[in-house]
Amino acid sequence: MQNAAVAVATATTTVATEPLIRVENLRKSFGELEVLKDISLDVMPGEVVTIIGASGSGKSTLLRCVNLLETPDSGHIWFHGEDLAADRVNINKLRESIGMVFQSFNLFNNKNVLDNCTLAPVTLKKCSKAEAEERARKHLAAVGLSDFVDAAATSLSGGQKQRVAIARALCMNPEIMLFDEPTSALDPEIVGEVLNVMRDLAAGGMTMVVVTHEMDFARTVSDRVLFMDKGVIAEQGSPEQLFGSPQQPRTREFLARYLD
Amino acid sequence: MSDTLGTSSNPPEPAVVHRPLPQDGALAKLAWFVTADHRYVFLFTSVVALVGMGLSMRGRSPMSFLANSYALEVVLYYVLVAWLVVSAAALVNKLLKWNDYAQTSVFKRPQALLAERIGSYVVCAIGLVFFVDRVVMGFDYLVATSIAQDSNPTDFLASTIYMLDKSSSIFVTGIMTTVELALFGTLIAFVLALLLVFLRIQQIDRSDNDFVRFLKTVGAGFAKAYSTVIRGTPMMIQGMIIYFAGFGLLRGSGMTVSQIGSIWSTFVAGLVTISLNSTAYMMEVLRGGIEAVDSGQTEAARSLGLSQWQAMIKVVFPQGVKNSVPALSNELVINIKDSSVLSVIGVFDLMFATTTVAGIYFKQMEIYVVAAVCYLCLTMLATWLLNKLSARLTGSAPSSLPSSN
Repeated sequence: MQNAAVAVATATTTVATEPLIRVENLRKSFGELEVLKDISLDVMPGEVVTIIGASGSGKSTLLRCVNLLETPDSGHIWFHGEDLAADRVNINKLRESIGMVFQSFNLFNNKNVLDNCTLAPVTLKKCSKAEAEERARKHLAAVGLSDFVDAAATSLSGGQKQRVAIARALCMNPEIMLFDEPTSALDPEIVGEVLNVMRDLAAGGMTMVVVTHEMDFARTVSDRVLFMDKGVIAEQGSPEQLFGSPQQPRTREFLARYLD
Repeated sequence: MSDTLGTSSNPPEPAVVHRPLPQDGALAKLAWFVTADHRYVFLFTSVVALVGMGLSMRGRSPMSFLANSYALEVVLYYVLVAWLVVSAAALVNKLLKWNDYAQTSVFKRPQALLAERIGSYVVCAIGLVFFVDRVVMGFDYLVATSIAQDSNPTDFLASTIYMLDKSSSIFVTGIMTTVELALFGTLIAFVLALLLVFLRIQQIDRSDNDFVRFLKTVGAGFAKAYSTVIRGTPMMIQGMIIYFAGFGLLRGSGMTVSQIGSIWSTFVAGLVTISLNSTAYMMEVLRGGIEAVDSGQTEAARSLGLSQWQAMIKVVFPQGVKNSVPALSNELVINIKDSSVLSVIGVFDLMFATTTVAGIYFKQMEIYVVAAVCYLCLTMLATWLLNKLSARLTGSAPSSLPSSN
């Protein structure tokens, strides 16, 4: 466990030229529909990458391909020198280092909050139960849910569920966190509590890939913004570039709809 | 309702202050209606009085206790008549004062209301006395005389009682066997179904090696084939095949018929049949419950690094089994009824007992009605118990008797 933490620390400080995840020529189709058309993408350690775009542009599919929840048709996903897209790679081992947060929270309905957080570390023998509980309490406290440790997962509000989901992912000490529209299922007034947790996480140096419709978050927190359209990365750049002076007409069109 | 139609500008206080209706509990609601509600008091008690009068005109059985006190019976009878007269007067009064009956009628004065309530209780008590004297004591006499007969009486009820008395031990044995078959069969089937559904829902995962892939394919195929064959053939035929297959195998190994009978009895064969049969249905119920678990649960578990097996055991399976509890418990009720087909291989269950008794007395209707009532009682009892159980397990319950397979 500590090894992983050290690995993150060294990666961020020394080799900033080596990407943590490298996606090469990724293609994915659902039947006739080609959702990802030859996507390539590097994510540097400590980088916060935001993916924006209209519904159906392939943002979520790209994110789900990165930890193999969707199997790519072709292409490579390099992570720690291994190709995740290769057949019969030990994806379970590699997923331990890739945290994922879902739009619909997906807390384990048969467990309470603490057990949601300790299930994976204990099952995968990353640490003892006591250790896992201690770490879970720490992460739950960081997302402001110390009082809900023993609550049933089903009894929480949407915002609370999503914060538990983030704490649950962090309990595995991931090197990278993937967020798949984490605030889209939330009421507008509680979106902020989840975004604040994500801001703290970004400020702490976590590598993050975030699919979102929260333009303000994309502009203020991310190091790089990708605009996806019809299965390709249409445009990417720093938030200032992309929001300030978008080059592509379809980027301008998309942003105009969101920013007026 | 007439209260609201009243034209008086200053309506008087309502004569009866209604207590609120209890929210739940059928008994509590009934008690409330009897003690607090005043509607229909004349209507209901008039019916009671009429029934009581009718019963009093029926012939007394030798065991009747009112036969010794004829004067008392006459008094009780005329109390009922008097009550009918009062009720008729109240009805006429109501018709005359349709719009302001509640405010002006003498029957709605507080003292009158109290007297009416006491009167209604008295009428009900008298009705009960007549019911016990004529119906209960009459039935008691019928039972006593039927049992004392030397040969089967011709009267339907008397004959039924006579046969039940003479062959009660056969029925008790049959009922016990049916309950054992259904109960143990369902429990064994549940365990087998839990194992089999694991095979059924296996999916090839990217990280599986060739051997695991082969095992998963074979396992899922076996479970699917098992379910198809068992659910596609009648249990009666399965019972035949299993019993005679076992019998033939043991005979082939050189055992005598009596030796076979001691280990491969019809009961054992029946239990094996009902267990194997129910396994297929329960497996499908479990599969439905497991597939109803949101796929996001698996995805979340997998995204944390759990293998498909671990995600299944720790997350999906507990939720799926919980989903299935109501439908699984129905299997017990179904098995109570369906075990009756096992009588064809000679299992001494309730059905076999019934057929045996019918054969002894050459009476069919009486004895099969008794069997139907026995099955109904068993299934209602099982449903009631299972509803309690699944309400405790899941917080919800199946609402009625299940449909058949």
